[in-house]
Amino acid sequence: MKGLKKYYTNKLVWYFITFIVAVVLNFVLPRLMPGDPVSGIAARAIQGMTDSTAIQKVYEDYIEKFGVNEPIMTQFVTFVKNAVRGDFGVSFSQYPRPVSDIIKSSVLWTIALQLPAIIVGWFLGNLLGAAAAYIKGVFDKAILPFFLFVSNIPAFGMATILLSIFAINLGWFPKGGGYGFDLIPNQSWAFFKSIIWHYQLPFWSVVLITIGGQAVGMRSMSIYELNADYVKYSRFLGIKDRKIVGYVFRNAMLPQITGLAMSIGTMIGGALVAEIVFSYPGLGSTILSAVSGRDYPLLSACTLIITIMVLLANLFVELIYGVIDPRIKAAQQD
Amino acid sequence: MKNQIRQIFHSSKFLGGFCVMIFLLLLMIVYPLFVTDDPLEMIGQGNFFKPGTYISVTDTVDTDTYTLKLDNVGARLESKISVEDRADMADWLEKFGGVGISQIDVTDAEGLIRLWEQYYSKDAAQDGLLISKKKYYARLDKKIDGILEDTDLKIAAEDPETGDISIAETIPANAYVNTKDIATKRTFILGTDNFGRDVLTELASATKTSLMIGLVAGAVATLIGLILGLLAGYVGGFVDDTIMFVTNLFTVIPSFVLLILISYSVGESARGVTLVATIIGLTSWPWTTRSVRSQVISLRNRDHVNLSKLSGHSLFRIILTDILPYLASYVVMALIVQISSGILSEAQLSMIGLGPATTKVSTLGLMMSWAMTYSAHLNGAWWAFLPVIFSIALISFSLNLMNIGLDQVFNPQLRD
Amino acid sequence: MGKVMLEVENLKTKYITRFGEDVYAVDGVSLKIEEGKSLGIAGESGCGKSTLALSLMGYYFSPLHYQSGIIKIDGKNISGMKPDEVRKSILGNEIAYIPQAAMNALNPTQKIISFIEDVIQAHEPRTSKIDIYDLARKRFEILGLDESVLQKHAVELSGGMKQRVVIAISTILSPKVLIADEPSSALDVTSQKMVIKMLRDMMEKGFIKSMIFITHELPLLYNVTDDIMVMYAGQIVEKGTAEQIVFDPIHPYSKGLMGSIIVPEAGLRDAKLTAIPGTPPNLKKPPKGCRFADRCKYAQPACMLHGIAETETDDHRMFRCYLSREQLKEGYEHERK
Repeated sequence: MKGLKKYYTNKLVWYFITFIVAVVLNFVLPRLMPGDPVSGIAARAIQGMTDSTAIQKVYEDYIEKFGVNEPIMTQFVTFVKNAVRGDFGVSFSQYPRPVSDIIKSSVLWTIALQLPAIIVGWFLGNLLGAAAAYIKGVFDKAILPFFLFVSNIPAFGMATILLSIFAINLGWFPKGGGYGFDLIPNQSWAFFKSIIWHYQLPFWSVVLITIGGQAVGMRSMSIYELNADYVKYSRFLGIKDRKIVGYVFRNAMLPQITGLAMSIGTMIGGALVAEIVFSYPGLGSTILSAVSGRDYPLLSACTLIITIMVLLANLFVELIYGVIDPRIKAAQQD
Repeated sequence: MKNQIRQIFHSSKFLGGFCVMIFLLLLMIVYPLFVTDDPLEMIGQGNFFKPGTYISVTDTVDTDTYTLKLDNVGARLESKISVEDRADMADWLEKFGGVGISQIDVTDAEGLIRLWEQYYSKDAAQDGLLISKKKYYARLDKKIDGILEDTDLKIAAEDPETGDISIAETIPANAYVNTKDIATKRTFILGTDNFGRDVLTELASATKTSLMIGLVAGAVATLIGLILGLLAGYVGGFVDDTIMFVTNLFTVIPSFVLLILISYSVGESARGVTLVATIIGLTSWPWTTRSVRSQVISLRNRDHVNLSKLSGHSLFRIILTDILPYLASYVVMALIVQISSGILSEAQLSMIGLGPATTKVSTLGLMMSWAMTYSAHLNGAWWAFLPVIFSIALISFSLNLMNIGLDQVFNPQLRD
Repeated sequence: MGKVMLEVENLKTKYITRFGEDVYAVDGVSLKIEEGKSLGIAGESGCGKSTLALSLMGYYFSPLHYQSGIIKIDGKNISGMKPDEVRKSILGNEIAYIPQAAMNALNPTQKIISFIEDVIQAHEPRTSKIDIYDLARKRFEILGLDESVLQKHAVELSGGMKQRVVIAISTILSPKVLIADEPSSALDVTSQKMVIKMLRDMMEKGFIKSMIFITHELPLLYNVTDDIMVMYAGQIVEKGTAEQIVFDPIHPYSKGLMGSIIVPEAGLRDAKLTAIPGTPPNLKKPPKGCRFADRCKYAQPACMLHGIAETETDDHRMFRCYLSREQLKEGYEHERK
């Protein structure tokens, strides 16, 4: 158990450092760029010519709250203080809603969509990849190239294709949104049904994309493992093929878990863009509206929250990995 | 080396990907030779014209006619009145026209229309019908009006001096023109986009730009990754620790987020194609660094490297002559991955409105983004987005296929 | 004469490569082992000895394929049995195997005890986990392995330890025949000795009834096995007792094998260290005549023409050469001068 404890402590400390670096980057990057949206905000507030009085007030409020005119260190301290309290200022584009309110209402949608979709896609993909490696023949020859191609369709592309087939042409599913536009969010059965109804296409488009990539990776891992010495040895001890296949898949799956941790950021990025296609009320659509509304506080909060989500997901995967792969424990004991 | 190249071209996967890639490249080179129009010229006055050949109407009238004995009415009926329309008509006739259901035969379009003309009246009492539905029936009536008539079309001309209108020409119902005779026409194989631009021509040029973006992004990322990976792997120690620390940081912090932050911050005016490509490259090097480093570590203690070290060669020379040649295949593979992910990154950035801010060229991402902004997918204008998605998928499919082929040649245990 | 544990007659197996070519790796091998005896098989790498080991078990999967021949274990013919029957009733409990690379022979992510459970339950599905644990613990104790090893994963064990664990697992069902394919060649000298001692112990204690020991180091067999077979290019070229083969090899190839290795044993050291020039023939197209002919110093034109039959000697030895024993001896004498 000692080995695992060391592994966990290492991981936790490391992720904490990463988190701090991510926050600093989130703060510093925009301020270092030649276009600099932050001083842009200050400039606009001082001129105050083009915007309506209300918006003018928001800008001034933001400058005051985040000390945009102060030295950069002071700004950082204020930024962190406010962020810890969950205060990201007032949205420019959706005045007078506070940014934290917008984030709160969209982040759950994104988590509820992406977390299950990535997990389901990961499982199905690994299953298919393993089957392709084991069954070979037609299955491998026909299904695999198909998934290889599918895995190369960008997530938003898959979203658009599914949408135009199943929502526009066949009319089986709604054309977008998180729930029926004629409904007010409440806890009724009808509302819940509408959510599930609207959930299908975005969900399956993320699942399909994830399946493709995972299946391809799992297949080559499985082929590699099927040729391992322990497979031959187990066979010659009379162990059933089915049992051996179990060993192989478990071992091939383990690197796939680390692979998941490594690529979860990319996956979420792709899935966020897919949300836009469905006008799904998650973070993806929020980012789009923040960009088009030149809403810097909202955009900055979105990127921060996505980073935190990705870091947490990664940390979680790595912690689980420590439990299920004995090699981690063994490595820590050396 | 020669042998390896021969092996690479024996790999069916590599060859497949290579052929697709060459085909795409040729298309990008050959297509503009034949279609010399400006790819961004806005030809269509309106959004999303269907794929097809567009023929000038006045030219058609002026073209010599031929008489063909064909059933105009029947063909017209089939194309103008849909099955839904017929069902609605039957519905109205039964409910409000007082026609018995046995009299109505939906499959007989001509009979149905005759009944319609006999019984339909805009002003009839239509209890329980929505206003929108009433209006729909009125529109339908207008469309049907005269559809069964097979009369000549008269063309009037205005006298420029007196303003009198007189019949200049009569076009018989059976008059046809040969499309080859018509001087002015334009074929849009993939229709037009929201700005009225020819999608196919635009696609050819956008694919080229996107590949350039991929290439620049890939080159930047691979260069950074190669240098950092070489330093980390070969020098080791503190340098290795530092570089790997930073690399691990940037593997976990999503590059998508960094891309958004940087692209937004540089401002719209500065965000050209090259800059976007460079930004993508600057945020995607960690993968390359990791794989180069692990390769360098396995190379570091090979005999020929040790020999070179003992001979007192400089660090630079050892890396250049004893390490880089052995890394070449990995670097090429890393570059290929980076190119395809660069193209994808550009598309995703453009989708959230942070793509290249330019009106001079188009990219696959921008095409997709505009199609989405103008709801092409909701209007059934598949030609505005499907070819784009397909192009992106095909590019990255061919690149990945080549990569798998290379991988099987250089890592034989993966062969199946 | 003891009971015959393993009898093989004219066994032929081949590999089919992924390009569809046949490689005749075991070409007409016959052998016999009695209870309590051990047989060594020696030859260069690539001579087909490892393939022979796999072929002896009567369980074939791609790319190895059975062609013809008979394998009898304790009088029971297994060459005609269905693969699943072989798996269930022969492998592991009648005939067991210790692989060449024991380093990787254990599934890295499985506990040793759980693997032992799988092995035993593959043959006797109803054995309870407690019984299995008891059996494993006792076996491990006798073989000098700590009980705690059972709860470890393969990755947590050292190389020598893994090898001993593999031997313990292979023999846990007390097989009639144990095939050990270079079990010691990847180990340091101390571990090598330990492994060999372990195998002998098991013979004595009756955990295994007979053993085949495969190695490329011919002299090593002198201390380990009763009989020795020398294999070349898929065929047996010489058969005899360990003493006969080591001290008095008849076949030029056996002679060469003895000469190409540094021998620590006193009395053997006078042989000059000479490598056998050339490489073994390509088994995709085996030569028509004697397979060793193009590397043989004593080859005659006739050697190349047709296959060479086995010659039995008065002292129950066998060798496969065109020349007679006397002619060969003369040649060796001549060589020494």
